[in-house]
Amino acid sequence: MMDPSEINNFEDQWRKAFQEASETPPQSVWEGIEAHLDKDDKNTIVPLWWQSPKLWYAAASIAAILLVGAGIWFLKSGEIHNKANVEIAADRVPESNGDSSKNLPDQTGKSEVQDNALAVGPNKKTDSLVKPDSKTNTNTERAAFRNSSQHFLAKSTSRNKKSTAAADESQKIINPSSISDSERSLLATTDVNDSISEITGQQTLVSSQALAALPYSDLEVHFQKRYVFFRPESNTEEAVKPVKNKEYWAGLGLMPASFNPDLKIKEAPLAFTSNSVSNRKSVSGSSQPGASYAIQTQGGMRLSKHWSVELGVSYLQGNSSYEGGGYVLSAKNYRSANVLENAFADLSSNPNTPNNSYDFLNGGSTYIDVSKTVSNNYQYLQLPVQAGFTINPDKKLSYSVLGGMMANFFLSNDLESASGEIITTTASDDIYRHVNWSATTGLRFNYRLSSKWKANLTGSYQKAVSSGFRSNQNLDLHPVLYGVSWGVRYSF
Amino acid sequence: MNFNEKDLVNGCKQRNRAAQKQLYDVFGGKLFAICLRYTKNRADAEDVLQDAFIKIYENIDSFRNDSPLEYWLRSVVVNTALNHLRQQKYLKDLDDIDMHHNGIADREITLGNFQMQQLLELIRELPTGCQTIFNLYAIEGYQHNEIAQKLGISEGTSKSQYARARSLLQQKLNKEKRFDDGSVRNKQL
Repeated sequence: MMDPSEINNFEDQWRKAFQEASETPPQSVWEGIEAHLDKDDKNTIVPLWWQSPKLWYAAASIAAILLVGAGIWFLKSGEIHNKANVEIAADRVPESNGDSSKNLPDQTGKSEVQDNALAVGPNKKTDSLVKPDSKTNTNTERAAFRNSSQHFLAKSTSRNKKSTAAADESQKIINPSSISDSERSLLATTDVNDSISEITGQQTLVSSQALAALPYSDLEVHFQKRYVFFRPESNTEEAVKPVKNKEYWAGLGLMPASFNPDLKIKEAPLAFTSNSVSNRKSVSGSSQPGASYAIQTQGGMRLSKHWSVELGVSYLQGNSSYEGGGYVLSAKNYRSANVLENAFADLSSNPNTPNNSYDFLNGGSTYIDVSKTVSNNYQYLQLPVQAGFTINPDKKLSYSVLGGMMANFFLSNDLESASGEIITTTASDDIYRHVNWSATTGLRFNYRLSSKWKANLTGSYQKAVSSGFRSNQNLDLHPVLYGVSWGVRYSF
Repeated sequence: MNFNEKDLVNGCKQRNRAAQKQLYDVFGGKLFAICLRYTKNRADAEDVLQDAFIKIYENIDSFRNDSPLEYWLRSVVVNTALNHLRQQKYLKDLDDIDMHHNGIADREITLGNFQMQQLLELIRELPTGCQTIFNLYAIEGYQHNEIAQKLGISEGTSKSQYARARSLLQQKLNKEKRFDDGSVRNKQL
C-alpha cells in the first residue's frame, strides 16, 4: 500500500503544477462565442412569438382551461335545465288529476328542491314568494295562499272592506282543510302555463292587500330567490372539426422545354412514289427537337394532407426541325416541294392547300435526294389535369410527384417549305387533329416563400398517346416534351 | 490584472458585451488549460471552452457572490467537459480495473523538473476514464464519492481508475526522467 502522505504529496504536486496553468485560446473561440451571443441578442430584441415554445405552452394551457371550464359550465347548466323540466313535469301530473284532495297530501312530501325547481320555470315567479317554515307543508300552504288569493280577489271585487277578511284568510292559510271544493277545483284547474298571466296579476294585488291587513306578528317571512335563466343552445357544442387540409391555389409559370414532334412519314407521299425517277416507296427523315417554351397557368386544390389535384391552361410553342427526305422538283413550273409538303398535300382535302401534290404527278418531276433541314413548329393550347402527391407538405421545402393527362388543342403549324416559305397549317385545314392527348408526369420542388406564396421548379415529361394527325395512314405525330418549369403560386 | 470582480459579474449579468469580453480575457486562458486536460486534442478543448463560456454567460444570473468567481467558472468548465465526454461516449462502460501490483516501486519523482506542457501530454495520453478521474481527483480535488456521483459510476470504479492513472503516470514519469537523464540509472527492479 502506498503511504497516504506520499499520495498527498503526489496529488499536491500535480495540483500545484496545474493551479496556475494557462493557455491562450485561439481567436476563433471568442468569435464563436460572440456569434452565439449575437444570435441570442437578436432573438431577445425581436421575439418571434411563434418560435417560442413557452408561449405555445401558455396558449395551450389557457385554451385547455377555457375548454374544460366551458365544458363544466355547459354540463352543469344542462343538468339544471333538465332537472327543472323533470320536476315541472312531475308536478303537473297530480294537477291534471281531478281529485285534488289526494294532491295536497301527495305534494306535501316533496322536498324544497322541487319547489326551487318549480320556481325555475320562467312563468312561475310568483310561486317563489312562498317560503314555508316547514318543508312538509310547503305545497299545502302554497295551495292555501293561492286560494286565499282567489278569495281576496272575490272580496275586493265586491268592495267589501271588512277587517275580518284578513282573519278569514289567515285562517285559511293555517288550515288547509278549510279549502272549499270549489276553491280546490279552481286551484286544480289553474294551469301554470295557460293562465299564468292572469294569476300573476291577481296574486300581486292580493299579496299587497294581505300584507296591509295582517299585523306584523302574523306575517310570515318569505324569501325571494332569484334565478338566472340560462339555456345553452343545443348547437353550441359542435364536435371539433379536424384540421382543414383543403387549400386552393393559382399558379403561373414559364417552362423552357425540348419539344420533339416525332413526326414520321410511314409511307412515301404520292408525288414521291409516282416519280418516275425515284419511285420511292419510303423516305428517310427524322424530327429533331428544338428549343421551345410553354407559358403555364394553373389552379389547384389540396384534397388531403398529401394529395392534390390541379388543372391548367398552357400555351406551348413547340419548335423542331425535320431533317432528310429529299424533295421533288416539278417539271411544269420548276417548283420544288419537300417530303413533308407532299405528305401534307396528300392528307389535305382542301384544294386551297398549297403545293398540291398533283402538280408533281405525271409531269416528269425530278426527285432530288438531298438531306435538308426544315423548321417545323407547332402551337398548342394545353389543358393538363394532374394529380399530385406531396412529400413534406407543410415544410419549407416540399416535393410533389405529379401525373395525369393533357388535352392538346392544336392551334397552328409552321412548316418551312423547300423554297424557304413558311406553310402555315391551322386547325381549320383538317390535317391535324383538333385535340390529341398526352400523358404527363413530373416532379416538383416547392419552396415556401411565405404563408401564401410558393416558388416551384417542376420537371415535366409529356408524351402524346394519340397521333396528332387526323388520318393515321401516311403521317404520324407523337410529340414528346421535356421541360423544366419555373413558377410561383399563391394559396387562398 | 486590474479588474473588479463584482463589477465584471454585474456587467455580464446585464449582458454587457464589453464585460463579457473582459471575463473571457481574464479567465479564458486558465479555463482553456482545464479544457486541454480533459480532452484528447486541441479542437475538442476549443469546443468545450466555447460551450462553457456560452453556459457561463447564460447562467451568470445564478452566480452569487458568496464564492470566488474563479471557482464557479472552473466548475462550469469541468461540468461542460464531462458532458462533452459523455456525448462522445468516452465515459461509457468505465469498469473496475484489477490492479495487480507489478512490483515496480512508485518512486517519487518531483514534478518540478517537468514543463507544464509535458505533464499535460502525460495526462492526455491516459485512457479517457483514467484521465478524467485523475483530473477530478488529483487536480480538481473532488472526493471519490463525488466523482462516482458525477459520472454515474461506483466509488470503487473511481478508486481503481484513479489508481491505474496514478500508476501509469508514475511509469511515464520514470520513463521521461530516464530519457532526460540520458541513462537508465533509475532502472526499476
